[in-house]
Amino acid sequence: MNALLALLLFPGGLFVMLNGLAYEWVDRKLVARMQNRLGPRWFQPLADVAKLLGKEEIVPRGADARWFNGLPIVALAAVLTAALYVPLLGILPSVGFAGDLIVTIYLLSVLTLCLALAGSLTSDRFGLLGATRTLTQLFSYEAPFLLALLGPAVVAGSWQIGTILNYASGQWLIVTQPIGFFIAVIGLMGKLELPPFDAPEAHTEIVAGALTEYSGRGLALFRLAKNVALVVGLTLIAGFYLGGIANAFEFVGKTLALLGVIVVLQVLFARLRIDQLVGMWWRVGALLALAQWLLLIGWKLWSAN
Amino acid sequence: MIKLEQAWHDALRQIKTWAQINSPWAIHFNSGSCNGCDIEILATLTPRYDLERFGIKLQGSPRHADILICTGPVTRQARERLRRVYEQMPEPKFVIAVGSCAISGGAFQGCYNIVGHIDQVIPVDVYVLGCPPRPEAIIDGVVKLLQKLELSKDERQRAKTNE
Repeated sequence: MNALLALLLFPGGLFVMLNGLAYEWVDRKLVARMQNRLGPRWFQPLADVAKLLGKEEIVPRGADARWFNGLPIVALAAVLTAALYVPLLGILPSVGFAGDLIVTIYLLSVLTLCLALAGSLTSDRFGLLGATRTLTQLFSYEAPFLLALLGPAVVAGSWQIGTILNYASGQWLIVTQPIGFFIAVIGLMGKLELPPFDAPEAHTEIVAGALTEYSGRGLALFRLAKNVALVVGLTLIAGFYLGGIANAFEFVGKTLALLGVIVVLQVLFARLRIDQLVGMWWRVGALLALAQWLLLIGWKLWSAN
Repeated sequence: MIKLEQAWHDALRQIKTWAQINSPWAIHFNSGSCNGCDIEILATLTPRYDLERFGIKLQGSPRHADILICTGPVTRQARERLRRVYEQMPEPKFVIAVGSCAISGGAFQGCYNIVGHIDQVIPVDVYVLGCPPRPEAIIDGVVKLLQKLELSKDERQRAKTNE
């Protein structure tokens, strides 16, 4: 009974989804304010999702209906599962095992993979183009993002999120690993396809990318999944780099501040081309992350002796 | 039991109408306009008028849109495309015809390459007058459309009390 409650209400399910919708609103409102607009009302993301859920679901000709309808569900399920392992509201996750950091990161990647599959499933050219771009972006940001989140894991000497959080609680790892923090934040933006990394769904070029053919429920579930991934990513980065376990108010404040940084980056920069993206991630991002990672390992070995 | 089911149904329908009114996503299609109306529609979407306040968002894909904003008379070449864009949109969908040409053919009436106005090709819900209409008029058109949705809800309730 308790487990069911936990799955449906607090760490999983309803709470994360509502949290995701709230964060989407904060994101859109801040962007609007920075563009000198008033911005959406507070219930806007909820109304969007409710409307999409009530709309007709069109399965395009040439697409397998089972895959077409199943992929959004898999994507949402994957990110909701990832939410179980992260310290939502600054509370230590109740479930965990050695290596759950890797599982969480790859559960977040399942969302991107589902997106790419959904795009390539339809015979639509924009969907296909969006899918290839999504996958290209996945292969470029994934390695730096993983390396950036492995930094805290290396210094804590554990692959378990709970252990790393306990280690990070006493100190702000952003001070000792600024590069890792920066790359993790930008990697999260790449994962969520926020501007300036929104080449996979560039509205002015390829309509809506991989989601072009989705109309009703599928689109709503993919949007929800992205919102949940935003919450999971922010929580993970805030927990690792900004002082670990904290009380709920402090922790939410930290994640919101992080969201603010992401919003500023979104507003400041124009969209990058997909080749610029790949070049930037591998030439700058991956190398910097790798350099810091090697430094950390060296420091670890040196201090062990 | 039946009553409970009915209440559940009504509540769901009310949520659906509320969501529809508060989150109208639009797609814009030009079927042969002189671009005057299109520029006004773009002006409507600028930060000065800020349609995101009302949840209105311009979408690129017809699959994501609820409202088709049409401008211009329908040329022979654009007729099939207009119909196709309309058919690609998922239900419930609405059409707003913006500008004199979209309503009657306007200055292009009787041209050899013109089929006619928008509602000869697809059903139109709201007409916005003007050549071109001001952004305020276009916003008013969208609000009128949303009021129509609200009205249909009221009418349904009236019908229910009459029973």
